[in-house]
Amino acid sequence: MAKAFGIITSPANHIKIEGMQDYRPVGAFSFLGRYRVIDFPISNMSNSGIDRIQVYVRGKVRSLAEHLGTGRHYNINSKRGKLQMLFSERSSVNDIYNTDIAAFAENLDILERMRQEYVVIAPSYMVYSQDYNALLNTHIESGADITLLYHKVDIAKECYLNCDVLNLNKQKGVESIERNMGNTKEKNIFMDTYVMKTSLFIELVKKARKLSSMYTLPEIVSLSAAEMDIRGVAHRGFFASISDFNSYYGANMSLLDYKVATELFHSDWPIYTKTTDACPTQFFEGSDVKNSFVSNGCLIEGSIENSVVGRCVTIHKGAVLKNCVVLAYAEIGEGVHLENQVVDKWAKIIHAKEIIATSEKPGYVKRDDTL
Amino acid sequence: MSQNNMLAMILAGGRGSRLHDLTNKVAKPAVSYGGKYRIVDFPLSNCANSGIDIVGVLTQYESVLLNSYVAAGRRWGLDTKDSGVFVLPPREKADEALDVYRGTADAISQNIDFIDTYDPDYLLILSGDHIYKMDYEKMLDFHKANKADATIAVIGVPMKEASRFGIMNTDGEGRIVEFEEKPKQPKSNLASMGIYIFNWKMLRKLLVADMKNPDSNHDFGKDIIPTLLGEGKSLFAYEFTGYWKDVGTIDSLWEANMDLLDKKNELNLNDTSWSIYTEDVSALPQYIGPNAKVERAYITQGCRIEGEVRNSVLFTNAVVEEGAKVIDSVLMPGAYIEAGAVVTRALVADGIKVGKDAVVGSADSENILLVAKRVKGVE
Repeated sequence: MAKAFGIITSPANHIKIEGMQDYRPVGAFSFLGRYRVIDFPISNMSNSGIDRIQVYVRGKVRSLAEHLGTGRHYNINSKRGKLQMLFSERSSVNDIYNTDIAAFAENLDILERMRQEYVVIAPSYMVYSQDYNALLNTHIESGADITLLYHKVDIAKECYLNCDVLNLNKQKGVESIERNMGNTKEKNIFMDTYVMKTSLFIELVKKARKLSSMYTLPEIVSLSAAEMDIRGVAHRGFFASISDFNSYYGANMSLLDYKVATELFHSDWPIYTKTTDACPTQFFEGSDVKNSFVSNGCLIEGSIENSVVGRCVTIHKGAVLKNCVVLAYAEIGEGVHLENQVVDKWAKIIHAKEIIATSEKPGYVKRDDTL
Repeated sequence: MSQNNMLAMILAGGRGSRLHDLTNKVAKPAVSYGGKYRIVDFPLSNCANSGIDIVGVLTQYESVLLNSYVAAGRRWGLDTKDSGVFVLPPREKADEALDVYRGTADAISQNIDFIDTYDPDYLLILSGDHIYKMDYEKMLDFHKANKADATIAVIGVPMKEASRFGIMNTDGEGRIVEFEEKPKQPKSNLASMGIYIFNWKMLRKLLVADMKNPDSNHDFGKDIIPTLLGEGKSLFAYEFTGYWKDVGTIDSLWEANMDLLDKKNELNLNDTSWSIYTEDVSALPQYIGPNAKVERAYITQGCRIEGEVRNSVLFTNAVVEEGAKVIDSVLMPGAYIEAGAVVTRALVADGIKVGKDAVVGSADSENILLVAKRVKGVE
């Protein structure tokens, strides 16, 4: 049995992605053509030998539930391991009651039955590769109460504005956790990733409930910083937080630089996803594709540049795509010109001839829509 | 067996020696095809899509990879309580010594005990090395409607090629009156596809007798079918129309891959009502680099293309580096074409590297070049 079990959390209330989130939670967002965002944390756990994984879900569960299924495709042992979905009721009185702590408290009986000594908590809306086993060992060796993973950035003024940041002392001790206000360039973006003893985690959940129904896990951890040994560990490699529409678009685009992609995808660290049994992609005479990721099952006759194309997309003759993210089963008609667009699943762009936006403010075409 | 009381047996023991180095370590049914598939995926997916629950796979030649591959029945959805894929290599039995399968019929005879455990009404015999999509349930309906003892699937071939096949001569109603193996003067163009439906009880009797016959080749085409015709049994030809390919040689394997490039290719692997299932690999979507050129190609996930690909089929994790050209060729899984190399009219085998600036194959060659060993780069 692994020393730790895993928890994958729902994003907090302030994480809102206009448009796409109307149909599914961020974890179920398509990413880089064939993946879903949640494939990254689950694969990280599976590759780290964690075989008990709890995924917290609330609202618009269908696509996530369908995608996770039995969890078999994540290479989790089907007898000893388990991928569990834990549901929490959504309070309709006031959104402030819908915290991660409320969800944990609702499933406290299940948490208390876990036999693993440690818990690794990771978010469903961040994309990165991390060996949690190495992180757990660092945590145990340091003797800290809680270890938090962060990513140091120098663009915190413009980006990661919905994220939390860690305020660290010189010894990498965490002094507090607070929202990124965008006031300085350099920040340690908190990756919503925690390692601690299961018993301490349960204690924190109970303590938070006693203090305030509004408290979240980062808040109660921050409040405990004075009396506990909480340390930050820096993450290296690719990191993206899908916390607004631009960051979703931007994360897909940034991976079109193959060198950047190799920082996320390593041959010894597979990212698992659910197969759809789509056949390979067919390129016809006259197709012209450059600097793009293309998934299986597509039929391509037009031009694609700097774009991410999902499964089973049809791009007709004379169509031109530039800097686009096209989700599965979409169809781009003859001669249609698209720039800087996110085209959601099953959308058909046939009648519109030109839809052009800027990379600073990319456009969005709704799911199932015909334009 | 709940669905149609027909059990399928796939003959997958052959080496396919005309595929040369491609089948040194794997049997022909395990050879890769169409970017992400193995040939045996076709009969297995056809079975799954036709509502057949129990599939036996008879293996013999270099069977380690093939055995483990087909044993994972869940790839084709053959993993419910009542269904499964059973790997059946020759085995030692309490009253018989271990013996190889002496022929196609003998392979079935040696597994009569296995088939008996399911007590099927019908037995479907398939070949593990053909590429086609076929609804065996429709063939069974035809078999039942004719109250046949055996039904053989046939396909129309060009008359001038008919002498290369086993040819069925039929009457107006599709009843088989004569079977001729590779006739010099063919009377019909209906070639046997090696797909048979038998009433199991009848076939069982025949197989028991055939096993004891010292003069028999223990082969369906040479022995069983002629015996049935001689006994006056009712045999029908079920005519199949659609894509069907027996890829016996490097040229025909290449050609079958090239067929996928046609805009209206008959095999149509995009048809989700009859999906072909295969192994699930963890690979990135294909990446096409900033200076790449891709036209008329069939490419699967895991590939990285920085050079030029024209009129070619690329399998999982194939790489074409900057400045390299791949024209009229097939790159098997993991084939790696280094910068500046040119590959023309060639089939590059699994994991083979073609070194920097090397040139392999040529546009006017008669045959397709099989590249099965590393090609050194130009210094």
